[in-house]
Order: sequence, then structure tokens, then C-alpha cells
Amino acid sequence: MLEPLATSLEKVFGFTKFREGQQAALTSLEAGQDTLAVLPTGAGKTLIYQLYGYRHQGCVLIISPLLSLMNDQVDRMRMAGFKRVAAINSLTSYRERQVIMRHLGEYQFLFMSPEMLAQPQMLAQVKQLQLSLLVIDEAHCIVQWGPDFRPEYLLLGAIRTQLQQPLTLMLTATAGQTTRQEIAKQLRSQPEIVAESVDRPNIFLDVEQVADESEKQERLTALVGQLQGPGVVYFSSKQQASDTALTLQQQTGVQAAAYHAGLSSEDRFKIQQQFMAGQLDVICATSAFGMGIDKNDVRYVIHYHLPADFESYAQEIGRAGRDGLPSVAILLYASGDEQLPLMLGQANRPEPETIHRYYARPQAFSEDDAAIALLAFYKRHGISEAAVVNLFSRRERERNRALAQMLKYVCEPRCLRQNWLAAFDEQSPAHHERCCSPAGMTPDFEQLGLLASHKSDPVAQDGDWVARLRRLF
Amino acid sequence: MEAADLLALLDQQQFRRLRVIENLLREKKTVSTLYWGLRYRLLYLIALDKKMARGALDAPAQVLIKRGWAETGETPDQVRLTAAGATEQAAHAEHPQTWANWGMLDLLAARQRLLLAVQVVSQYAHSAKRYYPLATDLETRQAVRNWFHQSKSAQLPEQLFDSLKSSLEKLPPVTAGVVTDLFTGHGQPGLTADQLALSQERTAWSVTLMQFDGVMQIAQDARESDHPLSALFRPLWQSPVTRSAQQTLAAVSQGRRVEQIATVRQIKPGTAREHLLEAAILLPLAQFPYDWLLTPPMRAAFAASLTGPIDTWQYTALPQALQDRYTFFDFRLYAIWCDKRGVGDA
Repeated sequence: MLEPLATSLEKVFGFTKFREGQQAALTSLEAGQDTLAVLPTGAGKTLIYQLYGYRHQGCVLIISPLLSLMNDQVDRMRMAGFKRVAAINSLTSYRERQVIMRHLGEYQFLFMSPEMLAQPQMLAQVKQLQLSLLVIDEAHCIVQWGPDFRPEYLLLGAIRTQLQQPLTLMLTATAGQTTRQEIAKQLRSQPEIVAESVDRPNIFLDVEQVADESEKQERLTALVGQLQGPGVVYFSSKQQASDTALTLQQQTGVQAAAYHAGLSSEDRFKIQQQFMAGQLDVICATSAFGMGIDKNDVRYVIHYHLPADFESYAQEIGRAGRDGLPSVAILLYASGDEQLPLMLGQANRPEPETIHRYYARPQAFSEDDAAIALLAFYKRHGISEAAVVNLFSRRERERNRALAQMLKYVCEPRCLRQNWLAAFDEQSPAHHERCCSPAGMTPDFEQLGLLASHKSDPVAQDGDWVARLRRLF
Repeated sequence: MEAADLLALLDQQQFRRLRVIENLLREKKTVSTLYWGLRYRLLYLIALDKKMARGALDAPAQVLIKRGWAETGETPDQVRLTAAGATEQAAHAEHPQTWANWGMLDLLAARQRLLLAVQVVSQYAHSAKRYYPLATDLETRQAVRNWFHQSKSAQLPEQLFDSLKSSLEKLPPVTAGVVTDLFTGHGQPGLTADQLALSQERTAWSVTLMQFDGVMQIAQDARESDHPLSALFRPLWQSPVTRSAQQTLAAVSQGRRVEQIATVRQIKPGTAREHLLEAAILLPLAQFPYDWLLTPPMRAAFAASLTGPIDTWQYTALPQALQDRYTFFDFRLYAIWCDKRGVGDA
């Protein structure tokens, strides 16, 4: 007979109470039921599989989409006291992979990218393991990224079947009804759904319409100079994130840094730690920043570019105000901004004509082209030409719908929160003055208590280098 | 790499090929690249920027040319400093102090080990048990873990501080400051090279070079067996010559002929000769059997024909009789021998 969940919680983490959703998800898993947990960022989703792994023999296999974050996750597991943890993905060196493969059966938690698991040799090895739980982290990626970005996510359903349908936990911070259904369908599972509201009442929602790019930059500079930090500004481009960090630092005197997948892991580590240590006022980031960042006092999240869909938007603004204090999410929009996500979405999408020619003569094409590589992937997995054409057009309709929804949010004249929650099939509380400020209205940041009272201290470089070296030890 | 960084690598007399500098940085070690790396005195750059894109030096070179600090030679790839460029270089360019030994150490691995070791000891000094370690490769993690378990003591933080301080004192204060600020430790995330570059108004590359200078100084001092980092760095000292070339060199030093070695080792004679040129370029004069490979008549014959600066020497310009008697290998080896003795650069 297993000890009660609360006893395990206290033993492992020293907590006396579960956060909302954790207990429901664990109870469902303990009953042997596949579970889809839709819990907001910061709700402690990791704890669910950590605790389950602690209570059951065997290995918890976690499929995670973001390579750069996987090692962070392993470190966090180690910090939490779990030692038998490893991550294996395309960034893992050959030697390290060999070591992990030799000890594969000994790990209690194994992180893997979908690409890695899809490799036949790896899958054969994993089949030998006694899996206590299969975790699909950031499960919304199945829908968001699947068909035209990470095709391996589409294989997860088949892989799950090959692994004899192990007990499965699907985790995501945001998923409306359509996304939930799609996740379940892709994974060939009928999960119990544990969902908490995505609403974050302490985050004030603001949409600001600007005339053009230069006005947008001015407005951003003004906001960053004015608002209480720390804050995060999201961009769709690495270059623009880097450039803006530099100009913000020079023009407003705030401590700013860029964070994106183009940085070395050492630089990412340092920027992340500086942010956590309160040495930075603002991070200019791409979507690479966020998943797994535990910082409670982020006061604002600004979107410089229009997000492609509500799921991403909800994830990213969810970094603000985890401490429950007043915070703000601002979306800057200039007319025509929707062109960028449209273009980014089109980038990998082959035309029906190309699909037809490829299926007729695959050898005539080079897989160096991302779109062709994608077609090759589908063809190798036995998906017919008609099905592929269908897949892409369905995906495009879905993407256009998601973008149209974002645009509707931008143009919403009355209550942004109501518009936002409706997208997740939720009812909104009645609009009030601390709720939101649609485009055209002027938010009173002072009234909302969001104006800066202090800025971060610049990273200490005082004293001579000997004194600074001394401080390390 | 920016224009200011490239400026430091150019010369007023000698035309230098951008592609050679690029290949050194990217660790594309052909004999030709190594030979010209030797002639440019830039061999310390080997493998320092393996991810550099092809042609990445073209834009910085253009900037120098536009400012009137550099000019191109017969081909756009050949660049040298103008008088104004030389003045600018003398006024601003900095050079690492320890560069002469960079080839003897796996500098990139040493840097990783040093950073992690400092973090681990700093956290230990503050009795912190739970922290995020710097993300590094498995080999570095294991090496530092083993080292730490063997060296752990209450005195370790103090010893490490003392030894780092004494090493960094041998470098210019600005280098010591940069090396210190790039460390990560307890309550100090450390700065990135870009952040330091910005605050000090220098380039990220120059910050990186300063860090390598610091790592090398610390590693050199750690050769003393009572140095706290001695065991951590010891396995990273290496011959600058590849293993295969070392084997060829050892066989030659035992008196074997190139053709014999090639047969025994199942390589082409041309490959064996390339091994020898690589070794000659990368090793000090005394560690290569010049007396055996460059016979007195050969030296005399070359000396009679090859006058003027080494860089103007051309094998195909030698008298036909000499070309019939001696190969390009002999000719190149003679040039290396002269270079190493400082002859022909007057």
C-alpha cells in the first residue's frame, strides 16, 4: 500500500500543501488514468511527475521540445535532490551519449527530445526500459509545431503504441478545447483533463496601437523607462532582441540584456542568473526565454511583435506577476504587424505543386531545403501525397484562424480579458478598471501602481579586481 | 571579429592572406595554412574560433580599407597595413602576453575547467550546496568533480584565491579585471564577454583573448605541483603536433627514410612529408631533426640561390638544376629552418 500523496509531498519537498491542480493530476495518475494537465505557468507542473517518479518503480521518460532547456531541467531535478537524471538530445556529445546509453536502465528520470526518441535504435533501447510514466512536456507543441516545424511530435502517438501505451501525463500551460482534443487525438489517448483557469487577475492587459515601426520603438523606450521592472520584452527576431537590448541600455540607462537561442550556453546561463539575482531590469528575448524560468517578481511583459497564437501569448505573459502583485502585459501593434507571423508561418510550407513534383521524383530534390526535408520525412513515414496536401492546408487554415483570433484581440474595443478567456472557452469576470485597457484607451500606470520606484543596480564592478576576486571566495 | 580585432593581426610590410587567418581560427590545418601562420606569427590563433563563418573577415577588412588603414595586394585576399593603419595599430592594438605557449595547452578545455572549478570552490567557500552549475560538457564536469573531491579542504578557497591572484598580477591590470569579471561564483553570475566589451568600450573578441591570456598564465603557474589547480590542468598539456605526425617524426628521428615510413605505416610518402613539415612548423628548432633532413650540401645550394626576404622565395623560380635535385619539401623545410633561426627576415 502506497503512502498518502501528502506524506510523499512532505517527505520529498517539505511542503504541506499541494498547489491547485497538482493533487488532482496525481490522483488521476495514481488511478492509472492518462492525464492532460492544463495548468498555468508557475503552477508547479514538474512536481507532478517528480512525485510520481518518487512513488513508483521504473523510469519516468519526459519528452521535451526545447533542446536548450533540457539541461536546465536536469540541473533543476538535481537541485531538487533527484540524482539519477539524464538528458539526451541532438546537442549531447557522442561520448556523453555513450555513457548515458550504457546506464540507461539506471535512471529514474530521462529527458529526451522527440527526434531522439523517434530514432529506431533509441526506441528499441527505450522499449527495454520499465517505464512508470511517459510525460509529454509542453504538449501544446503537438498542435502548434507539429506539421510544419517538428514533425517528430506527430510520431509520438505511434511511438506510444510501440511502447505498449504506458501511463501518460500530458502537460501544458495553455490549451483551449480544440487544442486539448488535438493533443488527445495525436497521442491516441482519452485522458482525464485537469485544468485550471488561465486567467491571471493580477495581470493588467493592455493593447497599444502605434503608427509605425519608429513610433513603436519610441513607445517601447518610454515604457521601459517608466515601468517598474524587472520586465521581459518579447521579439520574433534574435537580431532585433540583441539590437534593442543595446539601445534600451544606452537610451534609458536601464540594465538590459538579450536572451535567445543564438547565445552560447555560458552566456545564457549568466544572463539568466543575472536576471534571477535582480541585476537586470529588462530582458529582450525570443520565445527561447521563459519555459522554466522561475522568477516571481516580473512586473511587465511587452510584446514587440504580434504572437502567432493565443497559446504562445498566454504562455509568455504568464511569466509576469507570479507573486500575485499587480503586473502588466502590453502588446504593441502597428497595422500590418500580422505580416511577420504570416511570413514566418509560410517559410516552411511547400506549395501543392511542389508536393506533387516531389512525390513524383523525390531524387530530383535536395533535402537541404527545410520544406523538402519535411516532405521527405512524411514520405519516409508512408504518408500519401493527398494526405500531406491536406495536412498543410488544414494547418494553414488553423494558423490563419489563430492569427485572426490574435488580431481580434488587438482590435477588441471593450474588454481584452473577456476576449482572451473566450479563446480558452472560459467565462470572464465583469470588466472593471484594473482589468484591461484596449487599444485607443490610455492606461493609468500610476493608478495601477506599475510605475518605477527603483532600478536595478548595475552589476557590481566596483573596487579593484583583487577585491572582486576576493568576493568570489 | 571586428575591424579593430583584425587590425591587430595585420602587418605593414607583409601582405597577409585573410583566408589563412580564417583557416587558423577555424582550425583548418593544412601545411600551407600552418606555414603562413608561422610566417605571420599568428599560430596562436589555431582553433580559437571554430564556428567562424567562411569569409567572416572580409567585412572587417573592408572597414579597414575604407578608413585608409589597410590596402589590398595582388588579390583582394591579401591585405597589409598602410602607414596610418600601422600608427593606429601601435596606438591601440593589444597583444596577449602568453601567446607563445597557447599551442601547448588545450586552451578551450582549460578555460571550461577553470570556470567551473572557480564556481564550485566559490560556492563551497560560501557553504552553498544547491546551485546551478555552469552548463559544460560531460568531460569537464567529470574532471572538475574528481579534482574537487581530491582537493576539497577548508584551505582550498584561500589557496585558490592566492594562486589566482598571483597569476593575474603578472598580467596587465585590465586583463586581470576582465578575467575576474568573467568568473561565475556565489552570488555573482559573472558578466558575458559582450557585456564586458560594452562597458569597457572594446570588442568581444579582445575580451575573449584577454580571458585566454589569463587562462594560460594560470595554467603555466599550475605546472608547479603544489598549485591547487595542478592536477586539473595536467592532462590538458599536449604536443601541438598531431599524433600521427608525432609517429612519423619519431620514425624519422630513429633514422628511417620517408619512403620506408610510408610503407610501414601504410600512408602515402606525401602524407609523411606533410607530417614532417607540420612538426617542423609547430615545434621549436631543437626538437626537429634538421641536421638529418637538411644536409650541408643542400643548405649550401639553397643558400646560394635564395637571397632576400623569405616571403619572396619561390620554388618555381629556382634554377632548373636545383629543382631537379631537390623537392618542394626540401625547399619548404629549408625556409622553415631559416625562419626559426631568424634568418632572411632582416
